[in-house]
Amino acid sequence: MARTIRLTEEVFLHPRQYELLTALIKAGKPLDARTLSSILGKKQEDIMRDVEELGSKGLVQTRRVIKYKVVLTDYGRKYLEEGFPEEKLIRVIQSLGGQAIPIRELSARAKEAGLGREEYSASIGRLKKGGVLLIKGGEVSLNTRLLEELVKELGKYRKVLQELEGGVVFNEPQWWFREFRHRKLISVEEVKEILLEPTPLARRLFREGKIHEAEIVSRLTTDLIESGKWRYVKLKSFDLSIDVPVRQLRKKHPYIRFLDRVREILVGMGFQEMKGPHIELSLWNFDVLFVPQYHPSRRSSDVYFAKVPGKVHVDLNLLKRVKEIHTSVLKYTWSEEEALKPVLRTHTTPVSMRTIVNRGGGEYRAFSLDRVFRPDTPDPTHLMEFHQLEGIIVSKNVTFRDLLSFFKDLADALDLGEVRFRPAYFPFTEPSVEGYIKHPELGWIEVFPGGMFRPEVLRGVGLPDEYQVAAWGIGIDRIAMMVLGISDIRELYTNDLEVIERMPVAKEVIK
Amino acid sequence: MPMVEVSLPDLERLVGIKLSEKDIVNSLEMMKGEIEELTEDALVFEASHDRPDLFSAEGLGRAISYIMEVRKPRKYRVAPPTTFLDISRAPKYRPYAYLAIVRNVELDDEGVKQLFQLQEKLHSAYCGDRSLVSIGLYDLDKIVPPIRYLEVEESTFIPLGESKEMTLKEILEHTDKGFRYKHLVKEGGYPLLTDSRGEVLSFPPIINSEMNKVTEETRNILIDVTGTEPNLMMKVLNVVTTSVAERGNNVIIEAVEIRGGEAPHNVAPDLEGEEVSVAHDSIQKLLGYSLNRVSVQNILQKMGYVARVEDDFYEVWIPPYRIDVHGEVDVVEDIAIGYGYSNIPLSRTPPSPTLGFNHPIERFSSLLRDFMVGMGLQEVLNFMLIDEDVLNMFSGGKHVKLVNPKMKQYSALRNSIIPSLLISAVINYEKVSTLEIFEVGDVVQLDNGVPTTERMVGFLLMGDKYTLTDGLVIAKTLTQALGGTYRAEGAEIPGFIKGRTAKIYVNDIAVGHVGELDPALTTELGVMKPVIAGEISLNLLRKVLLGFSSQ
Repeated sequence: MARTIRLTEEVFLHPRQYELLTALIKAGKPLDARTLSSILGKKQEDIMRDVEELGSKGLVQTRRVIKYKVVLTDYGRKYLEEGFPEEKLIRVIQSLGGQAIPIRELSARAKEAGLGREEYSASIGRLKKGGVLLIKGGEVSLNTRLLEELVKELGKYRKVLQELEGGVVFNEPQWWFREFRHRKLISVEEVKEILLEPTPLARRLFREGKIHEAEIVSRLTTDLIESGKWRYVKLKSFDLSIDVPVRQLRKKHPYIRFLDRVREILVGMGFQEMKGPHIELSLWNFDVLFVPQYHPSRRSSDVYFAKVPGKVHVDLNLLKRVKEIHTSVLKYTWSEEEALKPVLRTHTTPVSMRTIVNRGGGEYRAFSLDRVFRPDTPDPTHLMEFHQLEGIIVSKNVTFRDLLSFFKDLADALDLGEVRFRPAYFPFTEPSVEGYIKHPELGWIEVFPGGMFRPEVLRGVGLPDEYQVAAWGIGIDRIAMMVLGISDIRELYTNDLEVIERMPVAKEVIK
Repeated sequence: MPMVEVSLPDLERLVGIKLSEKDIVNSLEMMKGEIEELTEDALVFEASHDRPDLFSAEGLGRAISYIMEVRKPRKYRVAPPTTFLDISRAPKYRPYAYLAIVRNVELDDEGVKQLFQLQEKLHSAYCGDRSLVSIGLYDLDKIVPPIRYLEVEESTFIPLGESKEMTLKEILEHTDKGFRYKHLVKEGGYPLLTDSRGEVLSFPPIINSEMNKVTEETRNILIDVTGTEPNLMMKVLNVVTTSVAERGNNVIIEAVEIRGGEAPHNVAPDLEGEEVSVAHDSIQKLLGYSLNRVSVQNILQKMGYVARVEDDFYEVWIPPYRIDVHGEVDVVEDIAIGYGYSNIPLSRTPPSPTLGFNHPIERFSSLLRDFMVGMGLQEVLNFMLIDEDVLNMFSGGKHVKLVNPKMKQYSALRNSIIPSLLISAVINYEKVSTLEIFEVGDVVQLDNGVPTTERMVGFLLMGDKYTLTDGLVIAKTLTQALGGTYRAEGAEIPGFIKGRTAKIYVNDIAVGHVGELDPALTTELGVMKPVIAGEISLNLLRKVLLGFSSQ
């Protein structure tokens, strides 16, 4: 911090420091800090920092001194007025002849003269010590020679005491401090003072007009920095109590960000993402999945049928195989026309079906995270379009237990807490399961439907006998609502910018 | 799936013991039922579709009595027929009918209520709302068999709930059921069930006769199914018959012969049941854990099967009302349920033999989204379902419409992402003076009339300071960031202002368009500010960047 200022330099000081230094120079003599601060109209503690900074620049020197403030005590005042008690005693002795006075008589006379018992014995002691008084054989005598000296000394004391009237400050301890304190004539207070004075360098620079008051600026600029002037300006202190605004933050939609996180988890578990068309033939959406054509989920109240002007390609072998399965196992009249009706897929399980048809037997696992459609009127827990997380594990060795274990792992990854499993029914899986997690307000809610694909389904897609498929179709929106702290499903799909901005960052993105 | 209501005292009577709340909750979970309401008097639960035997108290009581080991499952004995059903003159469009008889039933008004509930729930879940199968129950003592199922031009009888006779035509026109189901019958050739005196049992699938309806006094019940699907009918008949047979202590089930017509069965009901072999190893293979043979046999019994243990397999008799059981896996599921899903020892998902990956189009989309946010646009999310009218402002009909939309707002599938963005603009219109938004999402386009899904990136700028230039800037910035060459060429696109619209070419292939939206259009939606919108197909763009030639 300290830097030697060269004699040729122009010095720019903060206005406060400039004022302080000028006052010191003008004072002509060292000032103590208190005096200086009152000249400047400030508190002493306020100027000390500037003093230090000026000191580190070599412009002000500081000396710490101790001064002694002496005030007369009551005793001191009394003795000044009435004389020292030993003087009183001496007068008494002199009035009795000064020599060979019986001590008892002296004591009585002293008392009459107004000497207190303590003062009397202290005085006796003092005079005896000084040799002024001789006590021999119960008789008291004065030593005239030493008495003269004592009187001179007391005279000096008295002079000092006189000058102490009103209190005096001494730069150094005085010869009489000890004696007077001992006799409780005075009280001495040590006063620490800071003496300030400009250094010779400061005086010289000032004389040469090289000390300037610096400008205060509220911000740095390229100009100030490039010109070097930044060294000589004072940056205003920043007022942090003033609130600042926020920047306009453009971001990815929080719900999509959550879906990306889900993808990440699945990919991390070795799943490969698959996709399929939003418009499927009923064949793919229902028939391949062993959903009978009379099943309630195929009614127009439960599935959107689509008007498709052109002819959608269909694998005739698949059609034939599926017809055979429905007819032989379920034993009803299966309609090709019904199977060829295009629908908006009600689940993404058809994507799994297509994947197995394409990839056949093997050891692999795949997932899909995409939209499905159901004729529902939007309300806080239902939408007519939402996302489903579909997945399959194809393997010779995958089991129902693996499926449940997967749900548990997924719940752990999304921090959803405990999972409970209950028997369930889906036309295309057996055994089937529904996994429940605990919602803080709603209690146990169903979120993990799944099962092992039925042999009839696997036969339909041509998967060789030795393979099993564990499958699930999770309504990921319900989970999104829990994780994002949203209670109305429609908010997930909001495009109201205010709502999007308000949506909190999902905790599991931060964890 | 159907909501079933049962009375608790009635249920307990059927089971044979008093039931605690825990008994009911546990049993229902084992039968995939979800309890809606459970009070001292009543239980309301959602039955799962695959357990139609539980659509009324009788089947539920039977199942609970097995679970709680009050009774053991037994095969059914069916007495040989003493009468027949003649279907030789049945209507061709609804040619099949079967009958079954259950004697010595004991009914009270709860019993009657439950039997009607069973019919109603079966009609809805299994019978295509009567179109495939229709069920009827009758008081046998008020009927003189044999029974005929025939096609008539007209007839009269007193329908259920009425006090005077009506013709069939009148019934179709003036009764609730008539109105609802008249599309299932043909004028001049109505189906009719009559007895040997010509007394009408019912006008299937419309309505029964009032004169031989089932009441609390009925001791002998005749059950009929008519329809177009004989195998389905037999399954439904089996369910109803075995449920009715729960009502009474000395019940006798009697078969009825079918004569004439081309039904696949000669006699009904068919309560033989099926035999399924379940290999012991199949349990471990499917479930992933094993059980000892004694446990399996106990479980099978509790779940309502009769099982014989052989060396390495179980010979399992499937009750005729378990129409959901098609093979081994169905029995194994019941074994897992009987064992308890909460007892399954879980571990971790088995390690993956493959590397996981995101779909390439998702990775590409993610990159595009990063770029758009990097340019300062806010991401929005819209439905693919959209109001057809909004689509028609742009696409001229080349989009997929819904046959059965529920709301006008969602009556078609978007074939472009721009209409969705426009809707987003409408929603935020009042709150902002400028808007810069984008969406990356799917649309469904028609290619020679065949739907294909396309992934698009679309953006929209709304405000006084924007012109086509700003839209082109975005397209160009994106293109160059992806390392492609950019070119814009004037184009005419519906919904956009002529002369202020451009097609975007990347590496000389058209991938999208940008333009100023026509105020004639935007003002209709209440947007009174200039709007610039554009979209690019990510499928196309990706192909172009990877070096494939167009289309």
